[in-house]
Amino acid sequence: MTDGGNVKATDPGEALRSAGVVYADYQSAKPVDPRVVEAMLPYFTEKFGNAASLHGVGDVATQALEEARARVAAFFGADPREIVFTSGATEASNLAVAGYALRNRRKGDHVIISEAEHISVLTLGKYLEKQGFRVTRAPIDLYGRVNPKKLRARITDETILVSLQWASNEIGTVQPVAEIAEMLDGTGIALHSDAVAAEGLLPIDTSAVPVSLLSLSSNDLYGPRGIGALYVRKGVQVAPQLLGGGQERGLRSGSEDLAGIVGFAAAADIMAAEMPAEVERIRAIRDRLVERVLSEIPDVHLNGHPEQRLPNNAHFRFEAVEGEAMVLSLRDAGIAASTGSACSSKTLEPSHTLISCGLLHEEAHGSLEFTFGRWSRMEDVDRIMEALPGVIRRLRSLSPLYKTSAPAEP
Amino acid sequence: MKSTQYTDKTLDHFRNPRNVGTLEGENVAVGRVGNPTCGDLMDIYIRVGDDDTIQDIKFQTFGCGSAVATSSMITELVQGMKLDDALKVSRGDVADALEGLPPIKMHCSNLAADALHEAIKNWREGVSPEDAKKTPGGTACHPIPAAVAEVEIKGLDAYEGKGLYRTLDHLDDVADERVVVLDTGDEAAQLAIDLTEHTGRVVLMTTGKEPSVSPAVRSALRLSDVKVLAEAQPLELLGEGELERIRVHDLNEDEEYELTADAFVVLE
Repeated sequence: MTDGGNVKATDPGEALRSAGVVYADYQSAKPVDPRVVEAMLPYFTEKFGNAASLHGVGDVATQALEEARARVAAFFGADPREIVFTSGATEASNLAVAGYALRNRRKGDHVIISEAEHISVLTLGKYLEKQGFRVTRAPIDLYGRVNPKKLRARITDETILVSLQWASNEIGTVQPVAEIAEMLDGTGIALHSDAVAAEGLLPIDTSAVPVSLLSLSSNDLYGPRGIGALYVRKGVQVAPQLLGGGQERGLRSGSEDLAGIVGFAAAADIMAAEMPAEVERIRAIRDRLVERVLSEIPDVHLNGHPEQRLPNNAHFRFEAVEGEAMVLSLRDAGIAASTGSACSSKTLEPSHTLISCGLLHEEAHGSLEFTFGRWSRMEDVDRIMEALPGVIRRLRSLSPLYKTSAPAEP
Repeated sequence: MKSTQYTDKTLDHFRNPRNVGTLEGENVAVGRVGNPTCGDLMDIYIRVGDDDTIQDIKFQTFGCGSAVATSSMITELVQGMKLDDALKVSRGDVADALEGLPPIKMHCSNLAADALHEAIKNWREGVSPEDAKKTPGGTACHPIPAAVAEVEIKGLDAYEGKGLYRTLDHLDDVADERVVVLDTGDEAAQLAIDLTEHTGRVVLMTTGKEPSVSPAVRSALRLSDVKVLAEAQPLELLGEGELERIRVHDLNEDEEYELTADAFVVLE
């Protein structure tokens, strides 16, 4: 939107309201905070230099890049030299899991990956198997949490790496990362954690939790997409997965996306200042939705851990209703939510996390996820609850599985 | 094409499905296809007139948007049609009538045509609606062929005391665990019901279509939080040191899968 020559970013809350949409899918994508957009703008047109250049324009870029690195590092309790900027969390996880395993192969050929991991990390596990590594899955409990004892039982003399997400992007369960990190500290086994889902919702402090590698994304702090970072603890060695001109200390070649990196840093600054109050506000909205859904709709269950869960996450399963049908119906009511049902996935397989929690396929198909964020409001819960009970009733009336489906016509 | 990129016609049939319901009485047949495991189950009811035409047609569907839309569409397509002509209505015809389906959803249009054909077949063979609903014909979602069902469960001895229970005196021993109780009658079912006070996940696994329990226990089961897993034959206990998974033969689909579990109770 232009305003007398000045570019202004639209407020996401206003944009959603004028479109009549209740957005409850913050885990899939978050709007960029307009303050972040503003901070980025000069880096497209004025301060556009390449940090590798020797002239003054390049120096301005170098200074901005290193300042931004320091601010991102500070947010995660890290040293600036421990932050490698990437194109996002998927690339960060590639550099962490494949990069660490391939670089440290001489120490052993065994990698442990939790069953709750994001698809990007699970896919990396399959890649490593093709590269000749042995990859073991660490099981999760009823609530989606890894049992440290079971994880420990899978460690062998050949184990070099454990990958355990900070929290589930899907059911919101928070993993005992600190406990596992303490357990592995000093053993020579590296711990990688994909922290994306937890960013901005839980404190992530590498000075307090001895993780070796941490995958991070800017968008999860309301920064731009297409930028992320890998935290690499001092002394931890990874092999680069993207080769070229040797940027980012040789670990990630390619000219840095300066505007994106500045945006990441601005998002981290805002989050550092606002997180405590924001999290409590979002938690209250989430708690209200959970309370109302469980008390006002019959035959519904909460997936994931009752307490150890992300404060923005409400993940339900409804008996005898299919997830895609729920999401489509809610879409008609102007509500954006998501599901772990097979019918919404490219593979036609239901969510691996729900199956690993012990749910049957038919139960996983009935899942519905709401995730709240910076522009969510308590009224969103009212809007959801105006629509959801009717949606469930209607779909159950079509379903041959629900006990009180439509009566037969004589 | 994204699964949500349905045509307007598909969305209309999803939002306002035609001919929802069931039929009872004379000259009625049912075709049931799909499996809740795969995320869809479809019943199509037809009432056949003396002139061998479809006089009335109804459906019930558990499934995604296109499963609902295709079942609604096919009921409109074949209303009043001769049975022989209705048998010629193909999967492609249903998708065409909806002005196309996303490629990944073509599976669903198969279901609607299959359910109709199944209903006509059942009508001609005199299969009652009750029997028809007991034997779903199936589009398998997991094309993994199952091994021949062994009656003996492998690994029972190996997990004795490590997740396998022959008796369970202290229900708190399995607090917050995923407990699978093998259906061996009323006592097992009652134990499953009692266990729901101690853990959020209790599955009663039976090889039959329903647990082999008395009517009183059956209604108690229905009111309880016990999840009944029917037509499931446990094949093998799996896990590192302790029980973690049960390999199960789905007797209905003739496929195998692994069910995550921490405790398996087989009362003696």
